[in-house]
Amino acid sequence: MNRVIMLIAAQLALFVLPAAAMAKERIPDPAKGWDAHFILLMVISVFVYLVVTIPLLYFVIKYRRRKGNEVGAYIEGNVGLEVTWTVIPLILIALIGVHSWALFNDYRTVPKDCFEAKVIAQQFSYEMISPEGIRTVNELRVPVGPVKLNLTSKDVIHSFAVPQFRVREDMVPGRETYLWFNAKDPGTYEVFCSQYCGTGHSQMLAKVTVLKKEDYDAWVKQNTSEAAASLPPEEQGKKLFESLGCIGCHSVTGDKSIGPTVKGLFGNKTALTDGTEVVVDEAFIKEKVKNPKEKVAKDYQLMMQPNNVMDTDLNAIVAYVKTLK
Amino acid sequence: MNEPKGFKSWIFTTDHKKIGVMYLVTAMIFFVVGLLLATVMRIENMDMSRQVIIGPQLYNVAFTIHGAAMVLFWMIPILLGFFANYLVPLMIGAHDVAFPRLNALSYWLYVGSGLIAVLALVMPGRLDTGWWAYPPYSIKTTANIAFYVFAVHLLGASSIAGAVNFITTIVTLRAPGMTWGRLNLTVWGIFGAFIIQLVGVPVLAAGVTLLLFDKYLGTSFYDAFKGGSPILYEHLFWFYAHPAVYVVALPVFGIVSDIISTFSQKKVYGYTSMAAAIMVITVLGFETWVHHLYVASTENWSRVLFMWATILIGVPTGIKTFNWLATLHKGSIDLKTPMLHALGFISLFTIGGVTGIANGSVGFDIHVHDTHWVVAHFHYVLAISMSMLCIGGIYYWFPKVTGKMYNESLGKFAFWLTLIGAMIAFLPQFHLGIEGIPRRYWKVPIRYAGEMRIAAIFSFIAILGFLLTIFNILKSAISGPKAPANPWNSKSLEWQIPSPPPFYNFEEIPVITEGPYEYGKPEGDVKKGH
Ligand code: HEM
Ligand SMILES: [Cu+2]
Ligand SMILES: [Cu+2]
Repeated sequence: MNRVIMLIAAQLALFVLPAAAMAKERIPDPAKGWDAHFILLMVISVFVYLVVTIPLLYFVIKYRRRKGNEVGAYIEGNVGLEVTWTVIPLILIALIGVHSWALFNDYRTVPKDCFEAKVIAQQFSYEMISPEGIRTVNELRVPVGPVKLNLTSKDVIHSFAVPQFRVREDMVPGRETYLWFNAKDPGTYEVFCSQYCGTGHSQMLAKVTVLKKEDYDAWVKQNTSEAAASLPPEEQGKKLFESLGCIGCHSVTGDKSIGPTVKGLFGNKTALTDGTEVVVDEAFIKEKVKNPKEKVAKDYQLMMQPNNVMDTDLNAIVAYVKTLK
Repeated sequence: MNEPKGFKSWIFTTDHKKIGVMYLVTAMIFFVVGLLLATVMRIENMDMSRQVIIGPQLYNVAFTIHGAAMVLFWMIPILLGFFANYLVPLMIGAHDVAFPRLNALSYWLYVGSGLIAVLALVMPGRLDTGWWAYPPYSIKTTANIAFYVFAVHLLGASSIAGAVNFITTIVTLRAPGMTWGRLNLTVWGIFGAFIIQLVGVPVLAAGVTLLLFDKYLGTSFYDAFKGGSPILYEHLFWFYAHPAVYVVALPVFGIVSDIISTFSQKKVYGYTSMAAAIMVITVLGFETWVHHLYVASTENWSRVLFMWATILIGVPTGIKTFNWLATLHKGSIDLKTPMLHALGFISLFTIGGVTGIANGSVGFDIHVHDTHWVVAHFHYVLAISMSMLCIGGIYYWFPKVTGKMYNESLGKFAFWLTLIGAMIAFLPQFHLGIEGIPRRYWKVPIRYAGEMRIAAIFSFIAILGFLLTIFNILKSAISGPKAPANPWNSKSLEWQIPSPPPFYNFEEIPVITEGPYEYGKPEGDVKKGH
């Protein structure tokens, strides 16, 4: 008898605490833990669903009103039965809760020696800052291994979701939140904003690129060398256009987005909401970046926020826009 | 006393039955508005590669007003407006509610609030904040957030007045012999729901008032860069908005018990635990709101704590479900339209229930929070299933209210359309959710286009079913055949008087000697159990 109890306890412990047990030896993978938890939930869900619907259908057929069965039996209740269907759900729920708790601990306990990057959201793009200080937009580059992200937002609440790593966390202005995932295999992984943040919410997409350690190091070297600092103005403008988040709303390919495309814009006339037209020149672009409230393009909503950009940077942006014919 | 007639008699009425009917008509109008907006969204969901009829901004407006119209102007008013008004005095044996004029005020505040909601849909500055209106977005957007705040204020005033009125009515105006143990379970559900309204609504009202101050008076309660916190709003909002689902669910639970018992001609199984479960959910419902903030920078320990409270609600809900099954056991089951709706409710609600426990699991939710999983879950657990049950309730009391009979075959046909449509319409969204695809997306990645199209097509079937039902109700109200006073042979008090009820309900206040579910009670002493 004792042995049986011991065995059951051991089984339960194995089932309930696999993630915790693993943590001692190596870095856990919450994504895998999630998949296991999902299976547990699905098994219980299907079981409960059948336990409800099969008797339902059976009773409806068996006890249909017919001659000789015009009135139901007089039954008030049965304490034993009611206790049964209180206790069994309680046990199932305790099982789910404990399993979930262990998984949650994995999700929220950041392993030691994580690669750590920062992500800042704004309507409707992400800016990533690598530990070496390299800024990218809408693409996070990380080496293989556990990755911790420190998240925040410049304007409204956003969220950083990487479905393939089964993880998400909101990005709240004025706060730093975090998440971590175990990036085991090199590749590209989709990122979504899953907290409603306005008109461009469904286009607020990005990606995580997981690189082999040596590839990552090479990328860092390339981007921190002297060469990067002495780029020609239009190249610098391109970087700014991305890092300031302009590209989140203005395509450079001619596609319509949340704002007008900047391709083929420079030097041409464009219609405004107030019915007038304006020629897109250097002064107009500079003014628009600083004070977007005026002169909104026809057929678009005012979404843009004022930007405080240095004059040298503004010149670089204009130089870049000029190249987009 | 003579019953007043004519148009004026409706506008100035303080009669709970007339007010109830006005709630019914108004709420059904909003139901249709919500369904049309759902149709618009679903048409947009038909093709993920291009704009079908509306752009992202209008899509956002559509789900904002769809959500608000459905929850705030259809579900809650149909239950706490129509059913509560019409049924509570009849079920407890009273001439009217405790404060009839306050009752009329509640209705007109609701109408005012509804009109503002319609303005928010059609006026410039259309509301695109979602029905939750989180700052800072709601403060930064050019949408007219004042609409939102004033609509919530008026509706809140209406709800609080209703709560005071009905809690007083149920506590003080029960007929002699109408003990708590003999109350119809519908009344128990309405009682629990109004307690939640009384406690929760003021918190929401405070929350949105601060939003108004932030937007127009330059305060910074929710501005993180000036010492405020946007997360504070999320707490204030969900402190009410989560229990609000129990405001809907508790009366629904009561009505389900009532319909099942009548159409099985059998006593509700475990009456005491049914009533107790309602009260347990009333209290426990207030301990779960943080599950809406599972990924919103909440403290880790707090997420775990609220997980336990959230999934624990499964226990009283499970008790209710199994007691319904046990009520069917050895009953005399008649599958009339109201009964079909009650059984359809159970089958949809159970899908929503088990997926809700999954959602409640904090580890699981990290991956599905704010995804289509949640959309699927709450349309099963609340939106479709409970709307369906409300329709069942309307059919059930239709002869009571109108003295006429609805069209049975059209009722059944519409039911099957809705059930099959809804059953399939939201399944693809579970899959999108497991894949982590966020909700409130104008366009999801193109690889899900096929699934979204299936969802859309079956939604149209479900919506068609609902619209046919509404047609059936309207047409039968005008030209249905005369119904007997108690067509279902119910034992509940409201069916013991003529249909429709006389102006003052009861000639004389009745003396109650039995509960509402004593079907087939044998003579003499009865032992509990089998
Ligand atoms: C057949 C009928 C219905 C269909 C086809 C439908 C469809 C939809 C769709 C497509 C969305 C937006 C999903 C997204 O893009 O995120 C939605 C959201 C919603 N629906 Fe329904 N719906 C229906 C009935 C109802 C009913 C009866 C209710 C009543 C409570 C309801 C309440 C809601 C709520 C609260 C939202 C959430 C808005 C949000 O927060 O994003 N729906 N529905
Ligand atoms: Cu976003
Ligand atoms: Cu977003």
